[in-house]
Amino acid sequence: MGRKILLVTTDQMRYDAIGANGGTIARTPVIDALAAEGIAYDRASPQNVVCMPSRATIVTGQHVGHHGVWMNGVPLPVDSPDVAAVLSAAGYRTALIGKSHFEPLLDPFLRFDENRLAAEGRTGPNRGFDHMELATHGAVGSNHYAASMRAEHPEALGGFFQVLGRDLEVSGEGGGDTGAPQVKLNPIERGWYHTDWVADRTIAWLDSLDDDADWFCWMSFPDPHHPWDPPASERSRVDWHDLDLPDGYVADPATREAILDDRGRQWKLWYDGTRVSNYEAPAKWVPATLTPDQVREVNALTHVENELIDEAVGRVIGRIGERGWGADLDVVFTTDHGEFQGDFGLLFKGPYHVDSLMRLPLVWRPAPSAGPTPARVARPVGLVDLAPTFCAIAGVPVPDWMDGRPLPIDDADADARGFERVLTEWDSRQPDGTEVHLRTITRDGWVCTTYRAGTMHDGTEGELFDLVHDPLQRVNRWGDPAVAGLRADLLSDLADHLIESPMTLRVEAPV
Amino acid sequence: MACDPGAVWDLVSDSSRIVEWFPGMEQVTVEGSTRTITLRSGLPLIEEVVNVDHRLRRFQYRIVGPLPVSFHLGTIDVLDDPVGCLVVYSTEISLDPMGFVIDGATAAALAELQAVAEATVTAIPASDGSH
Repeated sequence: MGRKILLVTTDQMRYDAIGANGGTIARTPVIDALAAEGIAYDRASPQNVVCMPSRATIVTGQHVGHHGVWMNGVPLPVDSPDVAAVLSAAGYRTALIGKSHFEPLLDPFLRFDENRLAAEGRTGPNRGFDHMELATHGAVGSNHYAASMRAEHPEALGGFFQVLGRDLEVSGEGGGDTGAPQVKLNPIERGWYHTDWVADRTIAWLDSLDDDADWFCWMSFPDPHHPWDPPASERSRVDWHDLDLPDGYVADPATREAILDDRGRQWKLWYDGTRVSNYEAPAKWVPATLTPDQVREVNALTHVENELIDEAVGRVIGRIGERGWGADLDVVFTTDHGEFQGDFGLLFKGPYHVDSLMRLPLVWRPAPSAGPTPARVARPVGLVDLAPTFCAIAGVPVPDWMDGRPLPIDDADADARGFERVLTEWDSRQPDGTEVHLRTITRDGWVCTTYRAGTMHDGTEGELFDLVHDPLQRVNRWGDPAVAGLRADLLSDLADHLIESPMTLRVEAPV
Repeated sequence: MACDPGAVWDLVSDSSRIVEWFPGMEQVTVEGSTRTITLRSGLPLIEEVVNVDHRLRRFQYRIVGPLPVSFHLGTIDVLDDPVGCLVVYSTEISLDPMGFVIDGATAAALAELQAVAEATVTAIPASDGSH
């Protein structure tokens, strides 16, 4: 028997969400313990800050330029290689339970197999996964969670926030105590909520396996991605009235607007409600209207959702232990991208390459049988490195088509293998013609973003932040002559390592 | 498409035959100029056929509900071509979220139309055996 691999992902979670990374609100003892026993990465970045491109990177081990999913709504080609297929060929049983989002969610024609699975009563195979049971943010759409809710608990369907309005635009309707966007008091029983459903279905799949099976399971929680509508019974875990505002929140509006003015136009235009550069941000919501109490309430609900995830992970790991697999279990915990959660007076995400969206929690607890040495890794790594890591765990050669490398086990290993930089990209082309293109390198304690020519930028602008002396990224030093040489060096390095994205695949849906 | 343009036009211009070549459309009923389609997801799609020009071989229709599209006009032209026919499927649509969805579905439909037509309708005999 070989090592078992449990990949746990959340959706839209910040680095500071977990206690192991300094989070002080949500109690995440299970994930913290994994970090204490294993390797915690302090500079892990996604290769794109929205779901579909990022998840395509996770499953392929490729940069956007190779897998081709250049924005949300672009389906990952069905013939793309993926790590699950590699592991399956090596004898592993493979499953993805929860949110996949390799193909568009908005699919009234049910053109995409992910969306046909539940409608046709199937659970796979799909891509390299023997088994797929899917969920998304709420009991909507064509997925197994929504189908089970419609069949078993139809009375609970209305409790979720309705993300799309009748016009199919993302709703910015306010709720909760503060009128915060996409917040709703959801009376659903905790056990029916998608977080516990994902854990339940993961346990059910694991229970279907023989004791001597080797397996790879991607347990993919839809939370804490908006909407923020966790079970009402759990809201009291974190009282929003008690929360301090996040460090990244700039309380003084004039200071906040000055900070936003000193970077690309996409920041302030969104803040003012003039131009939304990402479909998933509510079309009619104006970030400038966000109040401090709304920030507190959104943060509180996020912490609640993160606690539920931690407990769900604990249940699954407990069951794995009962099956006798604990000593051979590798667990990787991460997310697909971050969330503003009030930083800069913003919520959600978009073409903004700062730590709020780019610094991710990433923990790898190698199998105890492998004798891991606990470590924290400061060197930059990316989600592109996950798939090669799974290959290494399974003892399978890393295929040539993967761009990443197995994660380093400590900084010395990272230095020896040249983990010097990590790249992140953004491309969007909205129906109204708005185009934004960002290319970012994170290296040597700096993050440098060049805005390529689009409808908002002329190709000469960008951002340069000193992550050591300006960890909240308040001061854009792109135009600072004192760091012009550094900027040129970073841009040269970016150009040398970037895999150009042809942006040729068709956008098939807004999300 | 390597097939007779008249035969392709017969397929396209018959409103009730769209389910044969448009992926994701399961059932169709036609009453007058109104075409009501049941999508694979179970959602209805109501269209108004606004122009069937047999001389030009041009078929035009609009989505009128319930998908939230402010404006839509789909046009299918079946043109003569030296190796068979050229089908041009164009869509004019307002800047709604459904735009990407309709665009993708239309592209898939055009590909499927070619596959169905070339498999089922009268093939153009190769004049020199080269195509």
